Amino acid sequence: MLLGGGLLLFGGFVALLALGAPLAVALGATGALVILTAHLGIMALPTNVYGGIAKYPLLALPVFILAGMVFERAGVALRIVRFTSSLVGSRRGAQGVVAILVCMLLGGISGSGPADAAAVAMVMIPGMAKQGYPPAFSASLIAAAGSTAILIPPSIAFIVYSVLVPQASVPALFAGGLFPGLLAGLALVVPVLVLSVRHGWGAQAADERVPVWRSFREAIWGLAAPAIILGGLRSGYFTPTEAAVVAVFYGLFVGVVIYRSLDARAIYRVLVESAEISAVVMIIIALASVFAHAGNTLGAFDAFARLLIGLTSDEVAMLAVITVMILVAGMLLDGISIFLVFLPILMPIAKTFGWDPVWFGVLLTMNIAIGQFTPPMAVNLMVTARIAGVSMEATVRWVFWLVLAMLVAMLLVAAFPALVLWLPKAMGF
Amino acid sequence: MSREGAETTPRVPVKIEEALAAAAMALICLITFANVVVRYFTDESFAFTEEFSVFLLVVLAFVGASAAVVRNSHIRVSFFVERMSPRRAFVAELAVMAVTFVLFAAIAGFGVGLVADDVRFETTSPGIGVPQWLYSMWLPVLGAAVAARVLGRIVRLWRGRG
Repeated sequence: MLLGGGLLLFGGFVALLALGAPLAVALGATGALVILTAHLGIMALPTNVYGGIAKYPLLALPVFILAGMVFERAGVALRIVRFTSSLVGSRRGAQGVVAILVCMLLGGISGSGPADAAAVAMVMIPGMAKQGYPPAFSASLIAAAGSTAILIPPSIAFIVYSVLVPQASVPALFAGGLFPGLLAGLALVVPVLVLSVRHGWGAQAADERVPVWRSFREAIWGLAAPAIILGGLRSGYFTPTEAAVVAVFYGLFVGVVIYRSLDARAIYRVLVESAEISAVVMIIIALASVFAHAGNTLGAFDAFARLLIGLTSDEVAMLAVITVMILVAGMLLDGISIFLVFLPILMPIAKTFGWDPVWFGVLLTMNIAIGQFTPPMAVNLMVTARIAGVSMEATVRWVFWLVLAMLVAMLLVAAFPALVLWLPKAMGF
Repeated sequence: MSREGAETTPRVPVKIEEALAAAAMALICLITFANVVVRYFTDESFAFTEEFSVFLLVVLAFVGASAAVVRNSHIRVSFFVERMSPRRAFVAELAVMAVTFVLFAAIAGFGVGLVADDVRFETTSPGIGVPQWLYSMWLPVLGAAVAARVLGRIVRLWRGRG
């Protein structure tokens, strides 16, 4: 029964996915079919669908997506770009470094890579082109820097991981992701400076320089947002969901009262769009829990995990196998979907080797972040390449260096777990 | 990849789902924000409202998923389908939509059983203490709504073939 059911579960899932079924349906339909044929009790279908979504920690997901969108529509990105450019001025590679910094700052407000990358790409790519940066390079760079959004708190990926792996709390993951996120961003500075100096990008003067003080006064409202979100979480006064809601209302205040860039219609559209983006993710979570129920009850995940452990009992080799698996999956699927598909198999492995669930979550997320801008199926790069008006192929020669830089950062995190675990411990999570 | 016929507008406007999704999102924010404010000023907490927010999350997920069926914006792997002949891709899409319809119809159908259990065992909600079926009754309703949207999409696909 285990073998037949397991084959049906994994085979049916892969077949449906290849036929172009929505991921949620591929998970739910095979899960339900296995529950039926193996007589596991079909009432598990509605129970797991409802219970898969109706979880308090999951409330943070739609609200952080909303918060990120409110800040984007309010025009926060534009003002932060103006301020950072006026700070660094125009020298070789300066705008490239600004792009990285802005992406990281926005990552401290929004929790999703493509949204972050889109906001910065729209504001920065035209200006960077005037200073001599090829659009294909700018698109690659912003896609890469935007991927740090899922590492720098708040992060949608960490919320989903915590829902699936309750031993790793959201605050602990948020704190654990901070240094690896900063490290990933800083790793990008190296190739940017080397390439800029070699090709002479950014040597031309910008059109006009906004005075530092004036741009600071405009940008301070956006710059304060990560402090409010993280400060609220740090003090332990807010739950993640509450911190997200406070960020939403703060963003609305800035957009309506300070910048006057949001009207009632814009707010309604933001509510609709963020709700629909969240729903697409949450329906996958709901039906993935049906799949997980079938696989767990059957013992299929444990069997599969034992199979992998049987291949190698060496910790480093296993990590390498997992990394390659996630990178390949990252060519076909987005990051959060990868968590939902792979975590049921990966968690028993992590347990066997005694890996810390927070460290493992951050490492996997870093892996997924790299997948977000590695061609051919890179969600971030697709967004920025479209905005820059270049083909994905044109970015390959530049993006390769950025992938390499962030892989080095990931190796450091893999080799030194303290990079992840020190901060959550120091903060007492 | 948009295919001929798939993007024609449905007769029942998707604005219904949009309004419901926006309302659920706004309510979640307002309830949580009110909770923060009340706790700040009074030391009281009405954390028991959590169960209502969490219920709104279920509503949000289903009405949003329903809109995503109309817009064809669910996350899927298009790599292999894009390499099929148009005819094969059309057949694959019909098959996949049929599976989607059966799945959501099953959620609705067996969801009725879940509600029946809640009524029979007089389950009450953990926070507020109201009958649980007040919440769970919406699962079959919402599941059926998504199934109906999928059916509509199948009909539009079939009419637009050629």
